[in-house]
Amino acid sequence: MPFLPSTRLMLFMLGSIGLITLPHAWHIPPVLFGFFTLMLLWRLFGVWRPSYLPNRLTVFLLMLAGIGLLYSQQHSVFGRDAGTGLFVVALGLKLLEIHGKRDVYVIVYLAFIVAVTQFLYEESILMALYILLVCGVLLATLITQNSQAPQTLPALKTSAALILQSLPLALVLFVLFPRLEAPHWSWLDDDTQARSGLSNTLEPGSIAELSLSPELVFRVKFDGELPPPAQRYWRGPVYASTDGVRWRAPPVLGRENNPDQPAFTGTAYDYTLMMEPQKQNWVFALEMPTQFAGGLRRNGLYQLISNKNPGDRAEYRLSSSPAYNTGGISKTERRENLQVPGKPSVRIVELVRQLQDKQARPELFIGNLLQHFRQENFHYTLSPDPMPDQPIETFLFERRAGFCSHYATAFVYLLRVAEIPARVVGGYQGGQINEVGGFLEIRQADAHAWAEAWLEGRGWVRFDPTAAIAPERIERGVNVDLQIASGAVNFSPVQLDAKTLSWLQRGRQLWQSVDYNWQRWIINYDTVNQKAFLQSLGINDFVKLGYWLLISIAGIGGILAWRLLRPNRRRQDPALVLYRQFCAKLSKAGIEVDAGDGPKTLAERAAHRRPDLAESIGRITAIFIRLRYQADSKTSDLQVLKTLVASFRV
Amino acid sequence: MDLALDRLLTAANQIILGKQPQIRLAVCCLLARGHLLIEDIPGVGKTTLSHTLARLFGLDYQRIQFTSDILPADIVGSSVFDAHQQLFSFHPGPIFKQMILADEINRATPKAQSALLEAMEERQVTVEGRTYPLPQPFFVIATQNPAHQIGTFPLPESQVDRFLMRIELGYPSRQAERELLSGQPRHVLIDQLPVALLPEQLAGLQQAAAEVHVSPALLDYLQAILAFSRQSNDFASGLSPRAGLGLLAAAKAWALIDKRKAVLPEDLQAVLPAVAGHRLNVGTNDSVAIVAPILKHVPVL
Repeated sequence: MPFLPSTRLMLFMLGSIGLITLPHAWHIPPVLFGFFTLMLLWRLFGVWRPSYLPNRLTVFLLMLAGIGLLYSQQHSVFGRDAGTGLFVVALGLKLLEIHGKRDVYVIVYLAFIVAVTQFLYEESILMALYILLVCGVLLATLITQNSQAPQTLPALKTSAALILQSLPLALVLFVLFPRLEAPHWSWLDDDTQARSGLSNTLEPGSIAELSLSPELVFRVKFDGELPPPAQRYWRGPVYASTDGVRWRAPPVLGRENNPDQPAFTGTAYDYTLMMEPQKQNWVFALEMPTQFAGGLRRNGLYQLISNKNPGDRAEYRLSSSPAYNTGGISKTERRENLQVPGKPSVRIVELVRQLQDKQARPELFIGNLLQHFRQENFHYTLSPDPMPDQPIETFLFERRAGFCSHYATAFVYLLRVAEIPARVVGGYQGGQINEVGGFLEIRQADAHAWAEAWLEGRGWVRFDPTAAIAPERIERGVNVDLQIASGAVNFSPVQLDAKTLSWLQRGRQLWQSVDYNWQRWIINYDTVNQKAFLQSLGINDFVKLGYWLLISIAGIGGILAWRLLRPNRRRQDPALVLYRQFCAKLSKAGIEVDAGDGPKTLAERAAHRRPDLAESIGRITAIFIRLRYQADSKTSDLQVLKTLVASFRV
Repeated sequence: MDLALDRLLTAANQIILGKQPQIRLAVCCLLARGHLLIEDIPGVGKTTLSHTLARLFGLDYQRIQFTSDILPADIVGSSVFDAHQQLFSFHPGPIFKQMILADEINRATPKAQSALLEAMEERQVTVEGRTYPLPQPFFVIATQNPAHQIGTFPLPESQVDRFLMRIELGYPSRQAERELLSGQPRHVLIDQLPVALLPEQLAGLQQAAAEVHVSPALLDYLQAILAFSRQSNDFASGLSPRAGLGLLAAAKAWALIDKRKAVLPEDLQAVLPAVAGHRLNVGTNDSVAIVAPILKHVPVL
């Protein structure tokens, strides 16, 4: 007998499979997704016109076509993208081949796998909810397949109940079951995804590209108070060597073991920093990191480097102190930070001479230079004109309008000409406070470049020429860049009230706070975190873990079984509750109360045994009988019974 | 009306001495529109009881003595050829009376038994394709000798189930027997009995019994009893839904005799031995002993 799946079952199945595969449209090549969609629509059409379904030969040819497409797109079956593509194409082909119940099961299980592959691309809470929802529909497909009289809504309800019942178990397994981590997902890791962010080289315009990107870079939760906005400099790579246009990080070889630990004064800030996936394994600590947990090291440029896969989200415990003194520098370092390409032009030398005093005091020169930026009609702009050759001179003498990287590079260049060791530091500045979660969100738009000069007795000192031009960007924690870009503000007289947040912004902050905690507690729960958590529970070895797992699963199973098997207890009759109290009092008086006794029988026996109580026993029994068995009970009876039982003394 | 019932019970108790509970149950059975099976050895007053009740209720009374050679036609009647009119005419049998005493029902063959029992259930008789309704009210009191006596055809379970109640009379007490021995012959007394209830009064009482209030709590208890009888290992087979209906009807009538407007658990307990005893196949005839585990183990509240 040919297997004829019901229309409802087919619609359920095709609907849920379509929903499950839908998010893959953004990940897998359009050709493969198109192939899958074609198969799905063909099968959907076949629900009403079974004669149009392909025969065995056509399915075989389609399979060959699918393999061809797969190979042309991926050239492999290994790796995340190729594997996902394979599953999606296979699912599409299998849809055209439903000959029995078994095929329905295969398709549903395959769809569950495709649902899981979604998490290789996206781990957000929204995607998790979506997949959970769609899995509910898929589960309803299985329920429809196995019920005598399938109905849509009850099937969905049952699947929702099943998922709810399984959640505690999932939670226990999530927390206790050993986390399996492929070493950096080596064969699944497709590095095709281009990630934006700071890079090893700095060109004057490079940071401007980031300035409009709202992409999250990291989030910081401080244990105590937040540092003032002017101190929120998140240190990234240092750019020291230049050819006049590009700035490069100096070689870090030989500086792995930083010899001079900076001297810190003042209070330190303790915080938790959660890095989003990056292309570099840099960790942007608040200047200047004093303590950092394992897995991190500080290179000679005071930058924190992680030994984890930068493609994974990771959380770090850090401590930073804004007051520091890095001490002296070596000859190599001094030479490196005085390097200028070729001879400076006459205009530059003239400018430096102008700003220098006779004793050539560095502090005074720096002060004069910042004053120069402030007074000589310099502007801050997001879209500076391109300055292909001699960008520094063009910027200093002609355009006088630039982005933070222009100011930082020009500043450092002038300092070097004035024989002051200086370098450009990249990183992020500021960040937006999420008032719901109480943490700072730092986005790509917060990317910044500033300068560092080495001063005798003070070590490396941070100078931010941008602050001299556009103090709003630094001081007020306002994302001026985005404001300018969106045309919301004209730069000069900025009147922004950061505290007036609309409900929309509040909602957004709430959502970001939820997302932060999701990332922090769910996504970030890896082997290391699990080990730490389990040790805090006192679980040190696998035997103990096994016991814990066994006990928790048995406990949850027991609770579920008890809820399932216990007889449906109706709401207790309040009269009966009172009468039971009365019976308890009677049995305390030595009058045996048998389960098989009716109230009248009991009352007679009790009155016979205790003639002194006969009257109250009779009254209580009469009211109870009226409440429980008669049609003519009054609403006041219950209250009377309550009083009588309460005052009944044996 | 209540007074009439009291009067009736008092009068009956004067004829059948020392058997108040049984008389009360018999009256209850009649008010619940059920049939009564009396099981006992010969000579303890089965016939007297039924005769007394018929008299007091003012019902047409007919006694049918069941023997091993009685035929169905002897009970329901038969068509006889009328030579004058040249056609068959139906001669109704003794069953066309309001109250039937089917004496020693288990002496008759199953065929004759089933003729009576079908009439009891359907309250009509079908002979040669024509249906004749039985009079209203229709009440059968069947007597049965204990099954171990010689020459009996025990009623099958399905037919015993048609009787709402089965009661036993038992030997009279010493004092009651002395009164019996020293008093007037019973048949003389019965003939002197006045009719205690008019036919419409009986119909009214039956209606009132059906309308006694039953609370959900009482139905809980009744269902617990039914469920217990079906699950317990003490009984080979549990109580049927018909038994449940009968139990409820009997308990309502019992409450009415007690002049109450609602059924109490005690009413169910009172009628339980008589209603359930013959339906639970245990192997003993002692109804009280049969239902004792139910009364003991099923919680009332």
